[in-house]
Amino acid sequence: MKPPPFDYYAPDTLDEALALMAQHGYGAKALAGGQSLVPTMNFRLAAPSVLVDLNRIPDLSYIRLAPDGGLLIGAMTRHVQAEKNPKVADKHPLLHATMPNIGHPQIRNRGTLGGSIAHADPAAELPALMRAVQGRIKAQSARGSRWIPADDFFQGFFTTALAEDELITELHLPPLPAGSGWAIEEVARRHGDFALVGAFAILHLDGAGRCDHVRISLFGVGDGPMLATTAMGVLRGEKLDDEAIATAAEAAAQKDVDPPSDVHATASFRRHLVNVLVQRTLTQALARAAGQEVTA
Amino acid sequence: MRAVGSSIPRFDAQDKVTGQALYPGDIHMPGQLHMKILWPDQVPARITRFDVSKALAAPGVVAVLAADDVPVNEYGLIMPDQEVLVGRVGGLVRSIIDQVALVIAESEEQAEAALDLIEIEYEPLPGVYSIEEALAPEAPLVHPEKGDSNVLLSYRIRLGDVEKAFAEADVIVERTYRTHPQEHAYLQPEAGLGFVRPDGKIEVIVGGQWMHEDREQIAHALALPEDQIVVRYPPIGGAFGGREDMSVQIVLALAAQKTGRPVKIQWSRGESIRGHHKRHAMIARAKWAAAKDGRLLAAEIDVSTDAGAYAYTSTKVLGNLTLACLGPYEIPNVKVDSRTVYTNNIAAGAFRGFGGPQGHFIAEMQMNHLAEALGMDPVELRMKNLWREGSRLATRSVLPPGVTVRETLAACARDAGWEETDAGWQRPRVEDLPAAITPVHRAFSLDAAGGRKARGIGIATSFKNVGFSLGYVDESWATVELHGAGAIERVVVHHAGADVGQGAHTVMRQFAADFIGVPLDKIELIADDTDHTLNSGSSSASRMTFMAGNAIRGAAEEALRLWREEEERPAIATYRYVPRPTTPYDPETGEADPNIAYGYCTQAAEVEVDLDTGHITVLNLWNVTDVGRAVNPAMVRGQIYGAVAQSIGWTLLEDLKYDRGQVLTDRLSTYLVPTVLDTAIHIAPDFLENPDPQGPLGARGMGEMPFIPTAPAIVAAVHDATGIWFDELPLTPERVAMRLKEVGIEDQD
Ligand SMILES: Cc1cc2nc3c(=O)[nH]c(=O)nc-3n(C[C@H](O)[C@H](O)[C@H](O)COP(=O)(O)OP(=O)(O)OC[C@H]3O[C@@H](n4cnc5c(N)ncnc54)[C@H](O)[C@@H]3O)c2cc1C
Repeated sequence: MKPPPFDYYAPDTLDEALALMAQHGYGAKALAGGQSLVPTMNFRLAAPSVLVDLNRIPDLSYIRLAPDGGLLIGAMTRHVQAEKNPKVADKHPLLHATMPNIGHPQIRNRGTLGGSIAHADPAAELPALMRAVQGRIKAQSARGSRWIPADDFFQGFFTTALAEDELITELHLPPLPAGSGWAIEEVARRHGDFALVGAFAILHLDGAGRCDHVRISLFGVGDGPMLATTAMGVLRGEKLDDEAIATAAEAAAQKDVDPPSDVHATASFRRHLVNVLVQRTLTQALARAAGQEVTA
Repeated sequence: MRAVGSSIPRFDAQDKVTGQALYPGDIHMPGQLHMKILWPDQVPARITRFDVSKALAAPGVVAVLAADDVPVNEYGLIMPDQEVLVGRVGGLVRSIIDQVALVIAESEEQAEAALDLIEIEYEPLPGVYSIEEALAPEAPLVHPEKGDSNVLLSYRIRLGDVEKAFAEADVIVERTYRTHPQEHAYLQPEAGLGFVRPDGKIEVIVGGQWMHEDREQIAHALALPEDQIVVRYPPIGGAFGGREDMSVQIVLALAAQKTGRPVKIQWSRGESIRGHHKRHAMIARAKWAAAKDGRLLAAEIDVSTDAGAYAYTSTKVLGNLTLACLGPYEIPNVKVDSRTVYTNNIAAGAFRGFGGPQGHFIAEMQMNHLAEALGMDPVELRMKNLWREGSRLATRSVLPPGVTVRETLAACARDAGWEETDAGWQRPRVEDLPAAITPVHRAFSLDAAGGRKARGIGIATSFKNVGFSLGYVDESWATVELHGAGAIERVVVHHAGADVGQGAHTVMRQFAADFIGVPLDKIELIADDTDHTLNSGSSSASRMTFMAGNAIRGAAEEALRLWREEEERPAIATYRYVPRPTTPYDPETGEADPNIAYGYCTQAAEVEVDLDTGHITVLNLWNVTDVGRAVNPAMVRGQIYGAVAQSIGWTLLEDLKYDRGQVLTDRLSTYLVPTVLDTAIHIAPDFLENPDPQGPLGARGMGEMPFIPTAPAIVAAVHDATGIWFDELPLTPERVAMRLKEVGIEDQD
């Protein structure tokens, strides 16, 4: 199918783009990599009357070190740029490990980090990663700009805190706490497909070997990226071993999620996968926190 | 250089990869109208109200056609059990494959909009949505006019005395198997153009597999003589059996006839998935017996397939399956009962393998189970029982010469690490096989994830008939024209065989060049319409290389004789190749000489199973097909890669889901076909060249064979890894993980 007719603007500056967003409001949509927007338009699931193409705006594509040691990433940075960037590999191994799991090389050549966050697919990796690392999203409009914490940004099924006239211009990924361990695991029906279930885990141990920081962020199991808060509660302040991890994983599967059934998997299989993946990511994160090499 | 045997590039490759080739969907005519089909949304149902007047009055609408507009409202490749259009008060919808009405308008949008204006109401009827439901006593009938049962056709084979053999056997294995439907998912959804030519004939440009059969069915429905219809095949975007029956052919001709203008249609992927047939779902109960030394003593099989709402080629597929379910083995006592049953699902029909995959899933799984029960190596057990030169089928006829299934098994087993020792064939230990996960795959957590993994290896073998079976008189026509004065300067070959993407037209040129003894660039092939070519049968049944090669040889030899002996200029000869006759099953005993010729294929698979997520990675897939003579080795390998991708898809991934006759997976985001990353990490596309005495230059058919043994080979490998047998396909991660969880598995690392 083809999309219904729409007006198309390709502004050269961010200010122009913001003015267009302000002018057209509800009917306008930003066009970034087009990897999600164009298919939804072709299937007529979205029918914006105005497209504001961000691809000609310079300076929205960059990866910089943030003052806190984390990363500042321009919204129009392509997935492939993050995937191949040495700074990312060095400063943010979790983001580095995440990138190859997003779609296929063809998708990653076009798709952008800002687009992925704005789209907020419940099965996408980056929104869940942003929650795992407690990242922030910079929203800008003709009215001004604001930083929105990832925990507040994702509000439900393909729904975010962005106002109609706002664009994402930058993402802030704080550094992982020094000495912390991390992992990402996901299961999809095919390579490159959106995940049936995916999990991020980040944890840190205090001097006595007790867990003083833990984030478990899940995707594919709800209407947005979600934290496994019960499971995190189980671990916080505890000495971590296989048994504690198994208990946390079970809590994540039974208490933290209420996954959907669809043609790809039943709810009970997704619950099972939550258990498996939380267990695997925590095990790997723990090994990394203990300074061990993890190859998976 | 001889043309046959060399991997010359396909003559159509350049156009196809550069986007120059025009497929049916790309072809337009000035002044063309656009057609949309009204599909039913209830199955089964009786149409109680049907009013097209509002649609007809809508902007741009030129015609709305329904049941009463079709001169002879019936069609079907095997039997005319389906209406072209069902739209009328009292019309019966049996399946979502039914076409209710056609809206023809100036633009696609106008046609689409007018579909909604057709006023239609349905009275829902009770339906049957599975083989079990269709066979239940008092089941609602899909075709009440056809008697009091949903059974469309049944066969039986009786040989020896199975009961006596069971009583004397050392080992008996009795299992129930289920296989699922499969969608062809060719690149190009159905599309075409129909128009009335200046000479008054109706021409249909479409993708298909058998243009003369398309023509016959169009002519029948339109009540016109066949010579008033021309069917033309431009490049075809894949077929795999899925274009063997009608989709848009008849309705395009009808629309052109009624409007007098060119009419275009282009189906969406969703329409393609609901609108053409599928591979048959199957249920089988099998009981096989063997002696301690591994000799097979008896096989008893009861198997049913889901034909869906219309016959399509179900009866022919059943014919093949009835033999395939015994595998390529000498079995002295045999009892097979097979049937195909109507349901309210999408019709089932031809799909690469044509009953072979389902049949061999039964036979090869039985052999796998027997090997385990006997404590015998699976290769060793097979070697003890496989057909040899001169073996008799369970249908009592002797196999045609060139029986090489053992050669494929031996070669494949060796490739996969088996060794032939004094104590017989011995499988490799998986630990000894090199690891196959590559860095590319390590990037995906799907294969590389931490957690419990187990590796295993399995093997399966198979046969497949070449050509039409069971008494059908197969034929293939070719005409060869030799032009020139002293020397042959130009050769024109006429042959109607469809190139469905497999490269048939390249193969025909290669044969012609060698049979006539001229370089390839002197050969011109005319193969694309019914006006200039004679019937050559379908591009199916792995028959096109075999049949076309023999037909072109006959025509070439005669043309050369005319050129040399009669000195005719041009020398033109037409030849009809008719292979040796076959016979149908005897209704009581199944006695028959069922097939013209056979091809053989063995595969071994090595898998890694994630014991927690149930994800299966095929690390290695070793294939050995006997192709007789590789006319074009690169294309042979292409067929092997393609077949393996498709069969791994069927085995692990593809899962057509229904809800009471409605298909839930009508997109490629819900019906998942494998990408190149989801097939096998390494495929070894090996082949043998033991000539078939009947084949042109020894060539055998080979397009279907590498599909057939994959599923049982993978299931055997998964069993080797986990100790669990999966007798039902597909092996989705959910099915595998849940079984592993239920049964509980010892960590094997
Ligand atoms: C086959 C396939 C597989 C895929 N697999 C995955 C996968 O496994 N994981 C995954 O995460 N994604 C996957 N994707 C999606 C891909 O990552 C997309 O690129 C991404 O989700 C959206 O990024 P984009 O730049 O293409 O955005 P677009 O498609 O251009 O836009 C998406 C939405 O975000 C809005 N938008 C874009 N940029 C901005 C901005 N700066 N400010 C405000 N709004 C904005 C648009 O208006 C639109 O509503 C897949 C896509 C395809 C086609």
